[in-house]
Parts: sequence; C-alpha cells; structure tokens
Amino acid sequence: MIKVEKLSKRYGATTAVQELSFQVPKGEVVGFLGPNGAGKTTTMRIIAGSLGATEGRVTLDGQDVFENPREVKRRIGYLPEVPPLYTDMKVRDYVRFAARLKGVDDINGAAEATIDRVGLAPVAHRIIDHLSKGFRQRCGVAQALVHNPEVLILDEPYSGLDPAQRVEIRDLLKELAQEDRTVILSTHVLGDIEAMCERVVILNNGKMVGQGPISELTKVLGGRTINLSVVRPEGLLDTLSAIPGVLKVTPGEAGTISLFTEPGDIREQVAAAAVPYGLLEFSGRQSLEDIFLHLTQQAEA
Amino acid sequence: MGNILAIAKRELRNYFATPVGWLSLCGYILLTGFFFTIFLGFYSEQAATMGFDPYGPAEMNVDEYLVSPFFGNANIILLFLCPALTMRLFSEDRKAKSLELLLTSPISTAEIVLGKYLGALSFVLVLFLGTLHYPTLLFWMGDPDPGIMASCYLSWTMMTACFMAVGLMASSFTENQMVAMILAFGILLMFWLLGWAEGSLGSTGFQGSLKDVLSFVSLVNRTEDMQKGLIHTKDLVYFGSFVAFFLFVTHQRVEAYRWR
Ligand SMILES: Nc1ncnc2c1ncn2[C@@H]1O[C@H](COP(=O)(O)OP(=O)(O)O)[C@@H](O)[C@H]1O
Ligand SMILES: [Mg+2]
Repeated sequence: MIKVEKLSKRYGATTAVQELSFQVPKGEVVGFLGPNGAGKTTTMRIIAGSLGATEGRVTLDGQDVFENPREVKRRIGYLPEVPPLYTDMKVRDYVRFAARLKGVDDINGAAEATIDRVGLAPVAHRIIDHLSKGFRQRCGVAQALVHNPEVLILDEPYSGLDPAQRVEIRDLLKELAQEDRTVILSTHVLGDIEAMCERVVILNNGKMVGQGPISELTKVLGGRTINLSVVRPEGLLDTLSAIPGVLKVTPGEAGTISLFTEPGDIREQVAAAAVPYGLLEFSGRQSLEDIFLHLTQQAEA
Repeated sequence: MGNILAIAKRELRNYFATPVGWLSLCGYILLTGFFFTIFLGFYSEQAATMGFDPYGPAEMNVDEYLVSPFFGNANIILLFLCPALTMRLFSEDRKAKSLELLLTSPISTAEIVLGKYLGALSFVLVLFLGTLHYPTLLFWMGDPDPGIMASCYLSWTMMTACFMAVGLMASSFTENQMVAMILAFGILLMFWLLGWAEGSLGSTGFQGSLKDVLSFVSLVNRTEDMQKGLIHTKDLVYFGSFVAFFLFVTHQRVEAYRWR
C-alpha cells in the first residue's frame, strides 16, 4: 500500500503540492487527474524518489521513500512525463542498462523478456534516436518495467502520441495494470483513464479536490456543458432556461447554443425541448473541465 | 561497484556514439603530432649544432631535451579538450530528462558521480593510447628512459584527472552545455594562469610568500617534476585531494537537485 501523508512541496515561493494525503491499496489502479500545473508530476516524482518533499512523508508498505530509497525504488517503476532515454543507445543496450541499474539479477533475461513484453522486439537493435514517438514511449515503459515492480507510476503516458500510438500504448498499459500491480496514472484527459482506473484522485492547485470511483464522479460531481445547434433558435433560449437544472444558456452564432447544467443528467429533457426547434446537433459529453469547474468552485465556497 | 562500472561504460560508449568522441580523438592525435614534430625538429637541429661544438656534451639527452618539453607543452591541449569532453555529462542528462532514470534507480548519488567521472576519464586514457607511437618511435630510434616516459604519462593522467573533475562539477551546475564548458574552461584557465604568475615572481620577501601560495594551488607546475621522472608523494596526495574536492562538490550539487 502506498501512503501519502500531508505531503507538501514548495519550489522557492511557489507551492506545487500542499498537505496532500491519500492512499493506494495494493493492486489498485488509480487515476491522477488534474489540469496542467496541478502538482501531478511533483507528487509522482516524490513517490518515485527523484524529488524530496518539503514536508510530509510517503511510504510503501510502511517503508519511507527517503529513509530506505534503495529498497523502495527496487519495487517501483516510474515512467516520467518525458521518457528518460539515452537516445544514443540501441534499444537492447538501453533496456539492459536500465536492468542493471534497477538491480535485476538476470540482466539479459529480464531485458529480453521486457523487450518482448512491450513490443520492442522488431526495433531492439536500433538506435533510440531513430525511433518513432510510440516506440520511444515503449522504451520508457520498458525502463519502468524491467525489474518487474509491484508499483507502476505513469506520468501522462499518452501525451504527445498520435491517436494510433495512443491506442497501442493504452492497450499495453491496460494489460500491465491487470497483472496485480498497483498503478498510479496521471492525465489531464478524462477519457484516457475511464477504461482502466478503478478510482480517481483529482488535484487542483496542489490540493486534492475530490476522489472516488470514476463512475460516481461523473454522475454526482459537476454539471456538464451541452452544445446544440438548431434551425430556429428564436424562443428556444427561454424554453431551455426554464428547464430545472439548467444554470446558464449562452447563444452562439448561426443557431448554436451552449448551456451549462447542475450536477445530474438532464440531457434527455434538453434534447426533447430542442427537437421542435429543428435540432441538428447535440453533444453533452461531460468533460473534465466541467468537473474541475464544479469542484474548484466548491472548494472556494 | 557494478553500478559505477555500468554508468562509466555507458558514458565511455557515448563518446564513440557521437562525433564529439571521434573529433576529439582525431584532433588530439593531430595536435600532439604537431607538438611532437616541432620538438623533434628543435631537438635534431640542436643536436646537429652541438655535433660541431667540441666543448659541448657528447650527446644531447633525449629525455631532457625532447620527452619532457613535449609532454609539458602538450598539457595545453588538455586544457581545451577536457571542458569539451565533460560539458555534457550532467547538463545533457538533465536537459534530456534522462537523469530521472538514474535518480529513480536504487543507486546512490555517489555511484552516479563516480560512474560518470570514471567513464569520461577513461575516454581520455583511450586518447593517450593514440599517442603511443611517439614513444615507440623514440625507443626505436634512440635510448630514452622508460621510467621517465611512464612518469610523463602519469603526469598527463593526474592533470586530466583534475581537469575532468572540474569539468564534471561545472556540468552539474547548468543544463546548458555551452555554459558548462565555458565555466570549466574559466576555472581551469585560472589555475593555469596562477602557474604562470608563480614563474614570474621572485623568491624572496613578499613575492616569495606569494610564490609559495601560488605554487601550492598551481596544478601545472606540479607536473613539471613528474615530467622529469620525479614522483613526489605530496604531489600525488595533492592531485587526489583536488579530484576528491571537486567530486564532492558535484555530489552535493546532484543531491541538491532533489531538494530544489
Ligand atoms: N522545478 C520547478 N521549479 C519551480 N516550479 C516548479 C518546478 N516544477 C514544477 N513547478 C511548479 O509546480 C506546480 C506543479 O507542477 P507539476 O507538478 O509539474 O504539475 P502537473 O504535472 O500537474 O502539470 C506548477 O505551478 C509548476 O509551475
Ligand atoms: Mg505534469
């Protein structure tokens, strides 16, 4: 179990993380959500042992990350936001180098198994610098996985990938997460983790603003933004405003309207009201931004 | 120890994976060749002149008139070369974020620092291998003292060990390789110039005391005796402490990354 207790990190005058506490039970897959600058990377680096905390502590099964760095680091695999690659090396040499640093006994065996596992076999003899972003990200995963750690910490593993690579990496990580590992995965895109995380922890401005099972968060927390476009917008604005749960209606150009709702799903009522006006388009996907808006407003109030 | 060697090996291989390594190797062989040719020219010219002097020594000593001046003057190549070889050690690693791999591995900061240092130092030892044809030539043509020759190589090694420690430290202070190189070069130049200043001072009174201080801090002057075949324990201790000091500062600096 990973236990983060009253963790704070200040960079000079800026506070990146403030009194953050949460726990991740063994084997759970947790999503770390938050906009840019929320403190996700900072928290993950502290857990992985590359950054010191200003206050508070982090323990893995009771062992303090900073008091027993060797023991704890052997059990953690960390994929930073930018994969930590030596691009002048060949893939196989790099994975072996990582295996050696991580204290693996059978270096060649572990390296080959990892190369196969993450799908690097076709490029194992190539220099990392010449690889595509997707393969580089796999090298980053290989480095985090080569010592078969119980805990995986993945910092925005999908950022900077094209949609096809994104799907590939997501499938790979999903498999890894199912192997009875404790996983913490950060992202600022909700869709990235809906499919694989059991629970989410939401950060904003270095503080936790909410946590819980992902399905509940989208149901209970936060309103949503609904965008629609109709043929005859005249009169619809008033009709929409009258629906209970609608907070704000904003008309746009050429018959488009966007409205913001209270927590709870009222898409059906809105759609029904709009149909007589010649409904052309309708989108009511709840975005992470909406949840943030709600949570941060709640935190301020 | 295994971790240190793994990091050292990676650093050493990096020099051969990039143009920097090969350029340094070629440049170093060319420049030492240039120095060697010049001093060989002086030597044979003087030896020829002396042949006509009935009061001169029967033979000009090759160690004193060729080996020592060659090794002593070729020191200056290292002054320029070492900062270029050390600049990327930490700077590039930080900038490319690859240092995260080292920092999150179950290894100590001391192992990281020593590994990088030994890897870079061993590259220069490879460069030295590229100069072995000069002694070979001399042994083939004449009769130089093997002890002095070995002592000269030791002097280069000591000097390089110091220069590389300064360079490694400079590299730990910035993500910018150019800045790291200039910083290292600046520090080394200062030590170099102190050596010159010492040579120009008198040996009595205030000048004398200043000279003592300068001779203590001057690196280059310490290699002079060694290049004549005289190895003093106090000089070895001095070089050892010099390296240890700069590696210690580097260690503290890398530890500080974690606490920024
Ligand atoms: N090395 C640093 N020096 C100073 N401030 C930093 C540093 N790293 C991060 N910060 C600041 O700390 C805050 C949290 O950053 P970060 O942990 O990277 O957030 P996230 O990963 O959620 O985007 C931001 O305001 C950022 O500007
Ligand atoms: Mg981040």
